[in-house]
Amino acid sequence: MPKEVKIICIGCPLGCAVRLSLDDKGEVIDIADNKCKEGQKYVLEEYEHPVRVLTATVLTQDSRQPLLSVRTNKPIAKSTLVKVMPVLAQIRVRPPIRIGEVVKTNILGSRADVIATSDLLS
Amino acid sequence: MNLNQKEIDVAVIGAGPAGLAAAIKAKETGAENVILMERAEQLGGLLHQCVHNGFGLLYFNEDLTGPEYAHRFIEKATDLKIGLQLETMVIRISPDREISAVSSKGGYLTFRPMAIVLAMGCRERSRGAINIPGTRPAGIFTAGTAQRFVNVDGFTPGKRIVILGSGDIGMIMARRLTLERAKVEAVVEILPYVGGLIRNEVQCVHDFNIPLLLEHTVTKIHGEQRIEAVTMAKIDKERNPIAKTERRIECDTLLLSVGLIPENELSLMAGVELDPITGGPIVDENRQTNVSGIFAGGNVVQVHDLVDNVSWESELAGASAVRFSRGEEVLKKGKIALRAGRNIRYIVPQTITGKSEVTLYMRVNEPEEAVRLRVGNIMSKTFRAVKPSEMLKLDLSLAQLKKLKERTKEIVIDCERRGGR
Repeated sequence: MPKEVKIICIGCPLGCAVRLSLDDKGEVIDIADNKCKEGQKYVLEEYEHPVRVLTATVLTQDSRQPLLSVRTNKPIAKSTLVKVMPVLAQIRVRPPIRIGEVVKTNILGSRADVIATSDLLS
Repeated sequence: MNLNQKEIDVAVIGAGPAGLAAAIKAKETGAENVILMERAEQLGGLLHQCVHNGFGLLYFNEDLTGPEYAHRFIEKATDLKIGLQLETMVIRISPDREISAVSSKGGYLTFRPMAIVLAMGCRERSRGAINIPGTRPAGIFTAGTAQRFVNVDGFTPGKRIVILGSGDIGMIMARRLTLERAKVEAVVEILPYVGGLIRNEVQCVHDFNIPLLLEHTVTKIHGEQRIEAVTMAKIDKERNPIAKTERRIECDTLLLSVGLIPENELSLMAGVELDPITGGPIVDENRQTNVSGIFAGGNVVQVHDLVDNVSWESELAGASAVRFSRGEEVLKKGKIALRAGRNIRYIVPQTITGKSEVTLYMRVNEPEEAVRLRVGNIMSKTFRAVKPSEMLKLDLSLAQLKKLKERTKEIVIDCERRGGR
């Protein structure tokens, strides 16, 4: 009996709940209920390698601002989002930091750097 | 700055994304003295607390976070030497454009600029707006307040969270609080579909397996000092709670994400006429209100989904304000009314002159698939799907507007079903 997963396409307001049929090895054998070709491409990628940009904040020291907003400079695997958070919780940053500056390189071996998304002034 | 001694061409009220874009555009199109009036201590408005991404996809063709999007405009405003009046609260605008403001540094000040751009944005609906029965304990916040606590001030509002309403900020806070190790018990939405964007439903709610309860609502709040639980229930077709479906969810925090209201107290003082549906000023394609020399852009006019559109709309207002301040071109108030027809909730601008190309912003009443938006008999465009939560945009070109008859007073816009005509 083939397995099935449903992925909601975010390409347009339609939000198709696209059905992917899988074989025993988890390979996609059929895609159904999408209403366009782009949707097919999206759900396939979303099934095989779902990635997200992680946005968060880190604690500061010696600044009037308690937090500095940060993000990964490229999308990382969706499954690693929750694992990265405790690493960010350990970080303390000091001013001055300029927007775009790297706060942590290659976080959890993801090859993505965590960068500041705002300035941190003293 | 002594405002009384200086001729101000354009004064912009509010320095969030709308005000920044309007002021920059005003300066770029040649206004000499542009001043930004802002009650907070920094420029950028709410963008600072919106640390998530998804900003600028249209405007910059890049996926930016809120602070990054703000930064680009703030740098430009600084480079252009736009006058800043921070920590200044505008308390009154008169119909003849006199602005009264107070600040701890400057005291009370009044001045009369050549033109004004209203860019006050919007605020969140709160518990009082939706009348939830029960006690009045601590622990009930609007989603935006919680967002400020978590992203700017550095603490989470609670550990077990229920979110009522599925607006974008509510869903974004569901993700943010989950990542900060709070337990989001449920996102509860009275409608049969989410109130925010589809990407937020997927990436903020489904990604973290947060229960999304559609056609449900909170019927009671429990707790004396601090909120202890909520009762929620499924609703029937008349949106009444079904008693036997009631259940209690323990929680220490309730977040409300139940809509936004354009902030127009100042507009009303100035005699600006508001649209009862949008809650914002009635404007023409130049974003001029009914009060000569007062323009408006961004969420004060209509609550947008995307900041990109806020910026664009406010640039229109800024550019028009400059033209008015110079007296170079008489901006005629739109003579043709745009009327919402089948399944259209509202249209901004509400009136057009028909003499210049224009982008129409619209929302529908009900979700529908396979539709065609028809603008009178001058143009139509098909859409695969429309939803109240996703704003629609239509560009009307000069060539299309030329099809209008000289005496046209009104254009009806319909959302038609395709095929079934």
